[in-house]
Amino acid sequence: MDLAVKDLKRHLGRFLTTIIGVGLLFGTVLAMNGIYRGVVFEGISLIESINPDLWVVERFRGGPFSEQSTMAEDFHYSVAAVPGVAQASPFIVYPVEREIRGKSTRFSIIGYDVFGGLGGPKKLTAGRGIKRAHYEAVAHKKLGLSLGEKIPLGLHQYTIVGLTDDITSPDGEPVVFLSLPDAQEVLFQRDNETVRNQRERLRRSLARNALNSQETDRLISELQTETHTINAVLVKLAPGADRLKVARHIEDWLYFSVYTSQEEINLMLRGRLAKARMQLLIFRIILLIVSMVILTLVIYTFTMEKIRSIAIMKLMGAANWVIVHLVLEQSLLLTVTSFIIGWLIIHYTQGFFPRKIFLTPLDEAITFTLALVGGLIASGLGIWQALKTQPALALGGH
Amino acid sequence: MKTLEIIGLGKVFGSGRLEVRALENINMSVSPGELVALMGPSGSGKTTLLLCISLILEPTVGTVVFDGETIFQDGWTGLDVRRLRREKIGFVFQTANLIPFLTARENVLLPMDLIGVKGEAARKRADELLEYMEVADRADYLPALLSGGEQQRVSIARALANRPKLILADEPTASLDTTRGKKVMEMLKKIAREHQTAVITVTHDARMIEGFDVVYHLKDGQLNHQGAI
Repeated sequence: MDLAVKDLKRHLGRFLTTIIGVGLLFGTVLAMNGIYRGVVFEGISLIESINPDLWVVERFRGGPFSEQSTMAEDFHYSVAAVPGVAQASPFIVYPVEREIRGKSTRFSIIGYDVFGGLGGPKKLTAGRGIKRAHYEAVAHKKLGLSLGEKIPLGLHQYTIVGLTDDITSPDGEPVVFLSLPDAQEVLFQRDNETVRNQRERLRRSLARNALNSQETDRLISELQTETHTINAVLVKLAPGADRLKVARHIEDWLYFSVYTSQEEINLMLRGRLAKARMQLLIFRIILLIVSMVILTLVIYTFTMEKIRSIAIMKLMGAANWVIVHLVLEQSLLLTVTSFIIGWLIIHYTQGFFPRKIFLTPLDEAITFTLALVGGLIASGLGIWQALKTQPALALGGH
Repeated sequence: MKTLEIIGLGKVFGSGRLEVRALENINMSVSPGELVALMGPSGSGKTTLLLCISLILEPTVGTVVFDGETIFQDGWTGLDVRRLRREKIGFVFQTANLIPFLTARENVLLPMDLIGVKGEAARKRADELLEYMEVADRADYLPALLSGGEQQRVSIARALANRPKLILADEPTASLDTTRGKKVMEMLKKIAREHQTAVITVTHDARMIEGFDVVYHLKDGQLNHQGAI
């Protein structure tokens, strides 16, 4: 006679509400695992996806993701001339918030050399890559755009020619790929009034320096904001080239900082992502402990409610293994079914989360093992209580 | 062969100034089919004696021989007392003490399950016992849906499940009204006569033990044989 199952069947409503409650708790723990992994995954996905041999950035800066890095675009020619460099491509990335389909939307723009340069989308889910120098874009499918759709960025309309899904900004925002000049234009484009005001200020400043109007007009166009800037140069090394030697050469002779992709990832993990990771990790641990404590209490309560029945069974001569089996089976049923419910909940709802929930089998296995350990500890306590229960309790005496 | 023989049994709780002599020099024997009543005021040691007889509480001194086997002789003799309880003793409690999450039939099946009797044979036996106790129509009910008298009769059916040599009943009528109480006692008498099962009943109520073979009176832990009612 399976006493554990019979007990649970008789209290089916309570059993179901308990496993749904504990299951939701496990779902939250698994979601927290996924959020933690998701923050790290998204934080470094851009670096991992682009993955050049070297990132050349502004000197003494941890850019282009961990902090701002600005350099003149034409420096990529200098980098390309370094011995051991097979290809050097300009790269720019920045976040924007623009109206898409009438809704204010945050995303990041990546500008790259669309004619064979590094830094473009690796995998397209639909359409094609950018083939023209201007007014074409490849967008992340999270933006909900369709092929052929036009989006306004700055002064121009950009046609979506391709869709991708393998890359997000370090903040988890979708990205839009543009050609480098387009990306620079969108970044530096100002409205006419701002441009007029800026020119007027310059004109007044130059006039104060006793320049005549002809000289002033000539200088104004020369003194406009430099728009041919980039955030990094992406480097592909020639076969057999020594990565360290090339990096040292660029640092010593061109006065830039150079990182490998792994170093870029480390900069992100130790810098921009560090506090968010630690915050989530601590919350994740607390949540796991809370879940285990609640599970332990639930199982212990289930056992203690049966203590008189256990005393009756002991009085009737039930062997210890009968009692142990009852408590242990019930504990395992509660733990396993709760975990399955939690697992199902998070697997079927992860798509509704605004940021990536990155669930890994390892995290799930660890959470399940810890839940099982919690269940076994609770069973142990329950079994200990059950085994020390005096059969006399059933008689109401002694 | 006697079902139960108790010789010079004593039970002391605590020691020194806190020592309480709950039972002193108890001698009694019970034959198959014999109906024995244990009476006495509260605190006289009835439950303690029942616990000693049911091999739950270890006596301090004395000898307990159960169905020809010496179980206790100034210490447990090493026999598996739980197995003896499973196989040879049936319990009827003050309240029915049915397992609340098992139906009436499952409650009767449980003792058989504990000794490995399962399947159709066990089910048939359970149904026969419920029929015998006149609660067959309540077989699939949970204890909470049975009246007090029905619950007590199911508990007697459970006590009988493994054809015990001895039934120990601890005030089985205490929670019942007089009519239902008498019916339960009639059932116990019927069992003793028809199955040759020895029955030891603890009770306060002298009206309930009419027709019993032997009545023992316990006072301050000492047993006084009072003969038949």
